Amino acid sequence: MSEQLSTLRYYLEFDFVRYAIIVGLLISLCASLLGVTLVLKRFSFIGDGLSHVAFGAIAVSSVLTFGLRAIGSEATGRLAEVLSENNHTVIVLPLTVLAAVLLLRTGQNTKIKGDAAVAMISVGSLAIGYLLMNRFPSSSNISGDVCSTLFGSTSILTLKGSDVVVCSVMAAIVIVTFVVFYNKIFAVTFDESFTRASGVNAGLYNLMIAIITAVIIVISMNLVGSLLISALIIFPSLSAMRILRSFRGVVICSAVISVFCAGVGIILSILYSTPVGSTIVAADIAVFLIFSFLSLFRKGR
Amino acid sequence: MKKRIFAVLAAAAIMLTGCGSAESGSSVSPAANDGYDVDLTQLSSSMVYGQVYDMVTNSDSYVGQKVKMKGSFSYYKDEQTGKEYFAVLIADATACCSQGIEFILKGDPVYPDDYPAIGTEITVTGSFAWYKEDYATYCQLLDAEIIPNDAPAEDTTKELSWN
Repeated sequence: MSEQLSTLRYYLEFDFVRYAIIVGLLISLCASLLGVTLVLKRFSFIGDGLSHVAFGAIAVSSVLTFGLRAIGSEATGRLAEVLSENNHTVIVLPLTVLAAVLLLRTGQNTKIKGDAAVAMISVGSLAIGYLLMNRFPSSSNISGDVCSTLFGSTSILTLKGSDVVVCSVMAAIVIVTFVVFYNKIFAVTFDESFTRASGVNAGLYNLMIAIITAVIIVISMNLVGSLLISALIIFPSLSAMRILRSFRGVVICSAVISVFCAGVGIILSILYSTPVGSTIVAADIAVFLIFSFLSLFRKGR
Repeated sequence: MKKRIFAVLAAAAIMLTGCGSAESGSSVSPAANDGYDVDLTQLSSSMVYGQVYDMVTNSDSYVGQKVKMKGSFSYYKDEQTGKEYFAVLIADATACCSQGIEFILKGDPVYPDDYPAIGTEITVTGSFAWYKEDYATYCQLLDAEIIPNDAPAEDTTKELSWN
């Protein structure tokens, strides 16, 4: 045990490990805050759908980068560098936000409703994304690129200082928005019709939830990849709901569980060389099982 | 209202914590033991992946440093130019990606006589350098030496990515 601790202390001297832990904890905190709302609004699967949109958007941005470089002029080369240096966020974030708005805001008024719309956009983006990556590879290792995008791989350990700043700012915006509009989010989550009837612009708050969801999805892709993002959103909320009943209690408990599991997952994966995303989700599953067990005693009383 | 202000300040504090740690532009590795500036043999494979990625993306910070690394031996010959490339590859935890560093042995070694079989797990030491070809940055260990290991590498069939 002391050997593991000294190894961990040594690893913590590396900048990229500290970056991974900071970003991991911030992402997990943001995901858990919104997770409660999404689960209660029956949008648990939207994380999956939007992450696949982000995957498709990364592929589009990679192709664009490839094309700009192929043109060969100095201006296009510089533009390509800008795209690849910020992990394609300039393209990925607006496209994901657009998809989120379409799914969450107009979902009620369209011919293709709810889960069908999410499923259609999800698999459609995944297919187009893989098709583009395959036809216009950004490196010689296509399977590695796809695997890294889908499962996060070890990309959380390859963050730069600038990535940490971008992630921190995005996380701060999400947290501050959630705290400031907590009461409105609470109202929209539980009874949208009543909220509308009481004069609150529920559509505006739904739009805000959609945008925040998209931001969280985009910043989460580095941590767990696009296939495992839903776990970050769903598991902490469901675990908290096993034993707590109030909205505030569930949100706080969910945040604590999520941050704890992300921290434990990252540290274990670094020490024992396991995939970061899968290890975090495994920790989330373990906590869910423990809380489910504890809930049996709660009901028994 | 006070509670809300406190919560907003707490969130801002979290943001500043993140920003504060990100001030340095490039990553720096702590000094390794045994006379090596970077000893990758002392790290877990996840850590090695992160460290090699840092060496590739922040190449200037590592130029001239003495590096020791362990992985599977790989060979590639460019049929058009006739140039030969030798590298040591390390797979990441998900086993779908590889990070590798090219090396150039001391003296005038000849392939395949002076090299191990492809896929053999080897330890390589050398002085870190980098060069650019087209848009890609390639890292290499100069004046390198190979120390053969006992166990052969498990998988030699993966697609390779050297940058």
